[in-house]
Amino acid sequence: MFRSALRSAMGAGFMVAAMASASAQVLEIGADNSPTGLDPHLITAFPSFMVVNGNIYEGLTAVDKDLKVVPSLAESWTVSSDGKTYTFKLRDNVKFHDGSAMEAEDVVSTIKRVQSKEIASPLASRLSAIESANAVDPRTVELKLKEPSAPLLASLATIAIVPSSVETNKDVLQKQPVGTGPFKFQEWQPNGFILLAKNDNYWQQGLPKLSGLKFNIVPESATRQVGLTNGQYALLPNIDAATALQLKGKPGVKLSETLELAYTLIGMNVSKPPFDNPKVREAVNYAINRQEIVDAALFGAGVPGGPLSPALKSWALDVNEFPCYSHDPAKAEALLKESGVSLPINVTMNVLPRQDIKDVAQVVQEQLNKVGFNVELKNQEQGQFIQDWRNSNFDMFASLNAGNPDPDEYFYRTFRTGGSTNVFKYSDAEIDRLLDSARTMQDQAERKKAYDQVQKKLACSGPVAHLTYGTLFSAMRDKLQGYEVMPNRSLSTLRDATY
Amino acid sequence: MSRLAKNKLLSFALFLVVLQLVLAIGAPLIAPYDPMAQSIARRLRGPTELNWLGTDQLGRDVLTRILYGYRTSLIACVLAVGVALLAGGSLGLVAAYYRGWIDRIIMRVMDVLFAFPVMLLAIGIIAVLGPHTYSAAAAIAVVYTPIFARLLRGPALVLCESEYVAGARAIGASDARIIFLHILPNLASVILVQTSLLLSAAILVEASLSFLGLGTQPPTPSLGLMLSEGRNFLQLSPWSAIFAGFAILFLSFGFNLLGDALRDTLDPRLRGQS
Amino acid sequence: MNRVLFSRLIDLVVVLFGVSIIVFLMIRLIPGDAVAIMLGANTEITPERMAELKSRVGLDRPIVEQYLLWAGAALRGDFGTSLWTGRPVSTEIMIHLWPTLELTFLSLFIGAVLAVPVGCLMAQTRGGAADVAMRVAAIAGLTIPSFWLGIVLILLLATLAPSFASLGYVPFTEDPIGNLQRMLLPSIALALPILANLSRLVRSAMLDALGQDYIRTARAKGLSERKVVYKHALRNALIPFLTSVGIMTGYLLGGAIVVEQVFAIPGLGRLILGAIAERNYPVIQATILVVTAGFVLVNFLVDLLYIVVDPRVRA
Repeated sequence: MFRSALRSAMGAGFMVAAMASASAQVLEIGADNSPTGLDPHLITAFPSFMVVNGNIYEGLTAVDKDLKVVPSLAESWTVSSDGKTYTFKLRDNVKFHDGSAMEAEDVVSTIKRVQSKEIASPLASRLSAIESANAVDPRTVELKLKEPSAPLLASLATIAIVPSSVETNKDVLQKQPVGTGPFKFQEWQPNGFILLAKNDNYWQQGLPKLSGLKFNIVPESATRQVGLTNGQYALLPNIDAATALQLKGKPGVKLSETLELAYTLIGMNVSKPPFDNPKVREAVNYAINRQEIVDAALFGAGVPGGPLSPALKSWALDVNEFPCYSHDPAKAEALLKESGVSLPINVTMNVLPRQDIKDVAQVVQEQLNKVGFNVELKNQEQGQFIQDWRNSNFDMFASLNAGNPDPDEYFYRTFRTGGSTNVFKYSDAEIDRLLDSARTMQDQAERKKAYDQVQKKLACSGPVAHLTYGTLFSAMRDKLQGYEVMPNRSLSTLRDATY
Repeated sequence: MSRLAKNKLLSFALFLVVLQLVLAIGAPLIAPYDPMAQSIARRLRGPTELNWLGTDQLGRDVLTRILYGYRTSLIACVLAVGVALLAGGSLGLVAAYYRGWIDRIIMRVMDVLFAFPVMLLAIGIIAVLGPHTYSAAAAIAVVYTPIFARLLRGPALVLCESEYVAGARAIGASDARIIFLHILPNLASVILVQTSLLLSAAILVEASLSFLGLGTQPPTPSLGLMLSEGRNFLQLSPWSAIFAGFAILFLSFGFNLLGDALRDTLDPRLRGQS
Repeated sequence: MNRVLFSRLIDLVVVLFGVSIIVFLMIRLIPGDAVAIMLGANTEITPERMAELKSRVGLDRPIVEQYLLWAGAALRGDFGTSLWTGRPVSTEIMIHLWPTLELTFLSLFIGAVLAVPVGCLMAQTRGGAADVAMRVAAIAGLTIPSFWLGIVLILLLATLAPSFASLGYVPFTEDPIGNLQRMLLPSIALALPILANLSRLVRSAMLDALGQDYIRTARAKGLSERKVVYKHALRNALIPFLTSVGIMTGYLLGGAIVVEQVFAIPGLGRLILGAIAERNYPVIQATILVVTAGFVLVNFLVDLLYIVVDPRVRA
């Protein structure tokens, strides 16, 4: 057993050797963490998204740099007048990496896969509006909805189309992804690297220009930085401000930046004291000094933000609209007095294990302790943190969440009574009503009005104190052209890049 | 080596260790700031008049945090090595005194624990207990227990054979009395030397575990943790990481030198064993 | 001699048995429901999923049967499958084993090779201040935190020789020079305590040798002094050296875990730390078991060598 494993490991080594010498244009990427799996319908963490989304896989639609929905595997679509039937026309020259053609049957099976109970995809809620999917002909897919769904097209951009053969298989894509994207999976050496090769049959003529992507897994920040400055790595994607600051001005290095969708937050469990009391939650918002958090944890590279990212220009309200966003410790103390909760309020804050979040948590702890809280930080391993989160086993937590281009994607599952990630056990009749109606509205202005109300209500007394939206950076060698950092952390622009 | 040089070395080692102990115990009195107090405006500075060793990524005073870090580190390690000494020492003495199957069972269990590489067993224990200062301390205690057991059993066996213990037994002294009054004092120098050396090693283990995120957790000041946090900002300001590293080195160095010098002074025949 | 060998073999089996029991019990000592924890973050926790995983890991059987099944499979090199990647755990270990072994071996090699000249040099300057200085230096070498040294080395390299590609890992079979280039710094960071330790051994052996009768005899026979001293002193140093190697393997394996993290080397340290973050208990268990068994075997071999080298032990 051991010996054969050894042999295969060494064989793999030789294979890479042959490959590496044949192509000099493999882009060396320095990544901070090892993905736990590569199945696009099962992954939940940034390291996995970075490898698969937009590189190996594509959806029917895609979002561009400005977060607008654009065609991808579907070249066009029509929506019925009642908003309940979507008809997608697929491109006809798309092949999966295994050589088979991508057809309507695959799209239908992908939707079934994401919705199936056995697969238990965390993306299932994004397709909850879909009642049935049919292949009209090999190039036409028809989706029937239970009710109109405004966010559907944006949601579909995050649903990777996979071959119909894997519909019920939970294991195979975790290790051997097969998609339609510009790069195809080549090799995965756990904790070492993930190698993607150019997809020669890619449907966009002439792309990708690079002959491959190699995600080197380098957990040490200082090591990644040195690797970029000495030219060993060509790209450090999606880095934080502290790292960017240290790389700024280094010879041969340039930075690309954007305001991102992901946000830092403090979550509060409203199913038990003290955060079942809305006044206590409001007090938290007044006690927090968001600008100080930006300065401290994000090194000034970011902005205070409400429930929606300022990057979503057509949706987000300005933070001036939220009274509790003016830092006011006296008001916080007064609110705590009104709440009748006895001081000091002893609470535990679970902390997501990332350096920036650990720093955010320490700053918030200090701010809250000044107004009458006694916050104890609980630093956890990733697995334990997520498990406590999922099981609502927390008083409060500090974390970083990926954002979504459509407000419904985030709000509905997070704040709707019984929502799939409503771990706070938040339940508010007015919010429920607004969210239910807004997701079926066809009129953009009307929808915006509903979400304005949701934002105002959630910002100060909701279960989440939204803190900051960071500027997201990517650092790269000067020679790397055509790649741009995206607000949703996708590396999809690498297909256009040259090095 | 001349006697004089030996004594000087011993004095120097004692000075180093006592100095650091005093700094750790007196941290709340000596430290210029609150170890948790943040000052974003002054973060990641090098040494200045206000902050002699600079500030960390949240603007906390590095000197203050190092002093408190000494505390965390020493409390954890003294506790861990103390427990190991108590547990391992007792087991070793009991094994030597009673011999037979008790001896065999105890020492077999000790052999098994001793068979694990230190860091690996510690990581395994932390995988069970979850990351915390006291998990790290517990891990170190378990790992060092067999070392004390093995260390004391050998000499204790020889002592038990001696006429001196036989004499005590003959006049009806109880087992406990013999072990504590007749055997233990004779092993004092061995214990002292080994405790000092293991404290030195324990400090490195605790720092490594905290560095890996498996030991002390923020915001508690800890040397390994400071190094681990500081390494993210090395190119902006390496001070916190560099000074934390030196602090670990001095602390571990002090105890190691003390053990080494003690070994020379107390019992030259012990040289070369470790 | 055979009797000694036989009793050592019995010891070996007993210790390995004990180690396996401890590693086996580990997963069962976890407070809370290990199955729920292992099921982890990515899926919803339902009673059916819990039951399925429980039987997959074999936690639903009587404990003795669990152990026998687990140990039996482990003896055949079967440690089950990794909870997340679905790959056999033995494959994961094999992939991660080589970098760690190479790092351990290189550090030992660098430490041992340098220890001879350094130790001899130390022996030549003796007495008074020089003695003290050397002891202090050696102890400092022993107590430098290797992970800190690693970070300092990376920083130094970045400033002094920024174009020297030296990070990550390339298999030796693929690019021997690149491999050694990358392994150089981590090996140095790990080798320093070994150098400190071994050079002390060499030095005291040299000093002993210089005072021995046979040196005088050898000199009288007209052999060159340098040759005499080296030959005898090094032979003298061999036994404590061997003992140290056994102990140091343990130190190195532990140190490698931390240094791998700093230098981005995909070895066993990265495997086990990643497994801890993911609560991937089968991988944690198997890694600890395999490495400890390896460590025990190394010490067993050292014991055997000991018997061969030092005839007195045979009695």
